Amino acid sequence: MWDNPSLRCLLAIAFLHLLSLIYSQETGFPEEPGNLKCITHDLNRMICSWDATSSANLGLTYKICYTNSEPFSPVCTETEGKRADLPVAMGSTNIQITTLNASGTPLATETFVLPEENVSLIPFTPQILNLSADFSTYTLYLKWNDSGSVFQHELDASWQIQILYKETMETVTLINYESKLTGKDSILFWNWTSDIPLECTSYYVKIRCYINELYFTGRKEWSEWSPVRTVPEKDTKPNSAMVFPQDKVVLVGSNVTFCCLYNEGKSVKFMNYGSESYPLLRLSKWSSAIKVQNVNASIPSGTNILCSLVPDDLEGTVLFVGYAPDTPQNLNCETRTFITITCSWNPGRPTALYTKRQTKYILFERISREKVTCKVDELNEKHHCDFPVHANQKIYNFTLGASNPLGQAESSLLIDVNQRVHLETPDKFTVSTNSSTNAHLSWYIPGNFIKIRLLCQIEISNSNSEQQLNVSMAGAENSNYRARVDALHPYGTYTFRVRCSASEYFWRWSKWSEGKKLTTLEAPPARGPDIWRQRSPVGETLTVFWKPLLLSEANGIILSHEVSCYLRERMLKAYEVPVPLNSTEIKLGGNDCLISVTAKNRAGSSPPSRITSVDLPSDNVKTELAIATGNGIYISWHSDPNVTCGYTLKWCISSGSEPCSVDWEMFPSNAIDAVIKSALFQPGVRYNFSLYGCKHNGYQLLQNITGYMKELPPKVAPNFTVEETSSDSILVKWEDIPVEDCQGFLKGYILYFAKGEKGSSKTSFMEEGSPELTVKNITDLTKKSLRILDLQGKTSYRLDLRAYTVGGIGPSKDLYVVTKENSVGLIIAILIPVAVAVVLGVMTSILCYQKREWIKETFYPDIPNPENSKALQFQKNICEGNTALKTLEMNPCTPNSVEVVETRSTVLKIEDTEIISPVADSELPEDGSDPGTGSHVVVSYCPPIIEEEISSPPIDEPVGSSQVIYIDIQSMYQPQVNPEEEPEINFVTTAGYKPQMQLPINNTMKMESHAPTEEDLDKTAGYRPQANTNVWKLDSPDSPVSIQSNNENRSFGSPCSINSRQFLIPPKDYEDSPTPNNTGWSFTHFFQNKPND
Amino acid sequence: CDIRETSARDSWGIFAFLCAALWNLPAIPALNSTDEVGAGQSIQKTYDLTRYLEHQLRTLAGTYLNYLGPPFNEPDFNPPRMTRAEMVPSATVDFELWRSLNDNARLAANYRAYTHLLCYLRSMDGQVAKAELRKNLGHFCTSLQGLVVSIASVMSSLGYPLPSPLGSANPTWAQGPGSTSPHNDFLKKMDDFWLLKELQTWLWRSAKDFNRLKKKVPPAALMLRLEMRGF
Repeated sequence: MWDNPSLRCLLAIAFLHLLSLIYSQETGFPEEPGNLKCITHDLNRMICSWDATSSANLGLTYKICYTNSEPFSPVCTETEGKRADLPVAMGSTNIQITTLNASGTPLATETFVLPEENVSLIPFTPQILNLSADFSTYTLYLKWNDSGSVFQHELDASWQIQILYKETMETVTLINYESKLTGKDSILFWNWTSDIPLECTSYYVKIRCYINELYFTGRKEWSEWSPVRTVPEKDTKPNSAMVFPQDKVVLVGSNVTFCCLYNEGKSVKFMNYGSESYPLLRLSKWSSAIKVQNVNASIPSGTNILCSLVPDDLEGTVLFVGYAPDTPQNLNCETRTFITITCSWNPGRPTALYTKRQTKYILFERISREKVTCKVDELNEKHHCDFPVHANQKIYNFTLGASNPLGQAESSLLIDVNQRVHLETPDKFTVSTNSSTNAHLSWYIPGNFIKIRLLCQIEISNSNSEQQLNVSMAGAENSNYRARVDALHPYGTYTFRVRCSASEYFWRWSKWSEGKKLTTLEAPPARGPDIWRQRSPVGETLTVFWKPLLLSEANGIILSHEVSCYLRERMLKAYEVPVPLNSTEIKLGGNDCLISVTAKNRAGSSPPSRITSVDLPSDNVKTELAIATGNGIYISWHSDPNVTCGYTLKWCISSGSEPCSVDWEMFPSNAIDAVIKSALFQPGVRYNFSLYGCKHNGYQLLQNITGYMKELPPKVAPNFTVEETSSDSILVKWEDIPVEDCQGFLKGYILYFAKGEKGSSKTSFMEEGSPELTVKNITDLTKKSLRILDLQGKTSYRLDLRAYTVGGIGPSKDLYVVTKENSVGLIIAILIPVAVAVVLGVMTSILCYQKREWIKETFYPDIPNPENSKALQFQKNICEGNTALKTLEMNPCTPNSVEVVETRSTVLKIEDTEIISPVADSELPEDGSDPGTGSHVVVSYCPPIIEEEISSPPIDEPVGSSQVIYIDIQSMYQPQVNPEEEPEINFVTTAGYKPQMQLPINNTMKMESHAPTEEDLDKTAGYRPQANTNVWKLDSPDSPVSIQSNNENRSFGSPCSINSRQFLIPPKDYEDSPTPNNTGWSFTHFFQNKPND
Repeated sequence: CDIRETSARDSWGIFAFLCAALWNLPAIPALNSTDEVGAGQSIQKTYDLTRYLEHQLRTLAGTYLNYLGPPFNEPDFNPPRMTRAEMVPSATVDFELWRSLNDNARLAANYRAYTHLLCYLRSMDGQVAKAELRKNLGHFCTSLQGLVVSIASVMSSLGYPLPSPLGSANPTWAQGPGSTSPHNDFLKKMDDFWLLKELQTWLWRSAKDFNRLKKKVPPAALMLRLEMRGF
């Protein structure tokens, strides 16, 4: 039964409980221990502590007896302090603490039951073994001992690492780190990267630990923080100002913090990144920072960061922002010489890093494990690198590595060097020849190609063709290669060039060598020239013609032609005709012979061309017309069975005054037609051809042919005249158009006619589209006249004759013809009215005779009294009461009086005023009667008398009868006065109206200029009452000074003066200004006022 | 360290070149020290070369400062002269002090300064990332080399000894670029900036110096004297 541990446990608890009940009765002793606390660091031993009142009685000791739940006897220890080291037991521990005095007498005893739950697991405080910093990478490295040997078995441990910075020890971060304790001491490592350069401020690190023992049921707690370790400081009192990070390389898009360290007593004025200023972050009293986000690629020399300090100091650093190298693109390796393999590639995206930070390339070959560092030319976009060819290696496995401070990339390529041969451009290329058809070529290619065969391509080109020739040849080492080209044309100029590649495995052609020109040697002409001959009309001489050979047939430069004459295989004569003549004349001397022509160049003579001189007689040779095809002339002929050796068509083209040049073309015997083309043919020109047949004994003229290459409309109109005209017909005659003006075969004429007067219309009939137009088409070319019938008499007709060909209708020529009068009609037209008149007269006479009594009674009564004549009875009252119809009497004129009523608002209306004042218009009644105001003006006038007086004007004295009396004319409008001339104004005001002849005239030059005009007016004007011609003459020396400076103003206020009528109208500005300041009408004033008018 | 070696080698190269030039000087009539007409012409040519270099530098400095980027290419950028390391000889000698120097001392100072500036300029050349700018720098170096030789010829034609090779007693800059602790890129840029500025000042000062020297040794008067002597 005791074997059961749980039962034993229960019994023990019951026993302890009983004990505690017993001891509880003894409470109240001051030395009694209480408040027991136990912690363990290693799960092996625990440290228990308790409270006990310490009395003055020193020398107290404590006896601790503990028993585990195991059935062991209690273990007792004695201690002087209030703590004891006990083993950690599973389950609970019974602890009895007895306080003993110095003599060993128990004073108080307390028993505790300590369950495992009440024990705390607190690991030992960890110790940082080492803290180091890598300033270049902003990284802190931490090293500590996990003290794993404390525990006997494996455990999970958690670590907390706290990083603080600045003097104020602000937490930057708190990191959890998990590890396993293995029962042995191990060193743990951990690193952390800051985003601020470590130089910028102090960093502090501390660490604590937590053991996660699953089987331990007690409380598990974090250890104490380790002592703080500080990163070796840089920010405390630096020697001189500095900016960090220095010369750092970062990726585009990074966020970078820069700090500026400075001496005490200084401060940062600003910090710039590039040219931009950023807000300052204060890190310490010696350090400030800026944070730049998402940096862009820097300029080639790097982006400058500037720290400006107060007082005057400046520091800075440079940041290089770029990209990691791109994967090398289009990596290609090939050999040119079999000495090195050249790999080339495209670097891809630029890194924006230069000089020592630029991308470095290393070419690595895996099979030979050889490495080559590539030198990169930054100017060349395509990079390349050379790798040596190894004697016994065919396959190469290349890896090109690219690296810069921000990263690396690589590309690989596996090649068989024999399949990647790209030869150098053939050099020292020479071409030579010693014949007319061959050429020898030689070129040099650097490199060792002993192991491969080469394929070379030779390009042969001349002005009109180009061909390529492939030549395969064995490779050699740094050697010249040769080739021979056949089948060239003699005296041909060719350009040769060559390129090569590997023959077996074609990879790429080399570049073309430079082109070399070569002209082959001459050879004798390939054939004899085309020949023709022409006998003179008399038959004494024979002209031999030949055509020059084509360049391809001449095989050189033709120097001359040899013409010889054979009679039965015997040469009679021979002529050497130099170039460029292409004909010669041979005197036959009555004999026919066989003509032979050969062309000669430096290399020799051509085979001879032969032709006989015999002309067979021909009769009844017809001339036929050829058909124009637009670009040639189509000619056809009848086949002649006697023609055995072909036909020859000969023609002659004349240009200008020179004799025509003979041309010909030969056709086989079976030909019956041909289209003749020549660059010399022109449209609208007639050409004559002769067709000869070649018979066994000579040539015979078979046919003549005329034709055009292209028919055009006739150049001129036919010359035509009107032969005779009658009242209803016209006979028209015309002449033929000369052949050279026809420009085609004439097909007929077209005659247009319609009514039309000469000069009425110049346009042609066609354009006019006259409805009466009649068209006659004359297709019979033999007809040279035409009678036009059914015309109207005495009518003008317009005639228009045109010729036409297949090419169109030619120009027109007009004629106007008037048909003759129809005399019978005229006679009838006269006779009929005469007859009618006579008949009417007779009938009237008869009628009057019969009614004579009535007529007499009516028209001629016995007593002729006009009063009774009804026919002469007019209306009486027309003249009654109208004395004006009586004869007018001329009486001397009695001046009439016009009373001018004084008025301020009314302007006097003058009938002959051309310019009417708007005021007068609006305010004066139409009839000019007194508007009812009190004032008026009486004007005395006498137009008829004035007329007379003008014809004989008095010279010295004013005319008393022509008086105009003004009453207060000044009231209408104020005169225009200069202020300094005020007295004169007064004079005017008081004087009232004065006739112009009495007005003093100022003799100014201006008036003189006006004088002729006014004299003219004197002559023409009908009305001139007040004028005194003497007065108008301005330069009378005794004239008093004008009351107004401007002479034109002297006539101011004169309503009747013809010359001064305008003065009656007040100018607008006078009305507007109540005190006018200018009395005159000077010219300038006039112009100034004009816009107002 | 490498740079220092290079510059030392360069200096020796220049020295050797100058020695060779001097050896041949008597053979060249224009540089013959006994012929003072030669001195006048030589001064004139040196003056012309100085003006040409001034002009050339103006273009080069614009391009180079743009290459360095802001703030170096900003017109109002005027940093305080760093005191920590005098990499570049300063032309900011007191005016009065400079006036009080005799021709020989002034020419010698010119000679020394350009020799050193040239040396520094060459070291700068290798670090430039832009090929075009490198070419321009190379071209300018060649011209400046010509000026150094010209000054040497003026000195010899006036009968002055060439200044001795620079000793260790000279200021920091005399030891050539790279003699101080490794620079960071910003300080290098700053040195380049100062180099251009110093070159400008030195060239301006040299132009004045040679102009004064030209007036002091008028070729016409010399000609006259020569003719008299001839008679």
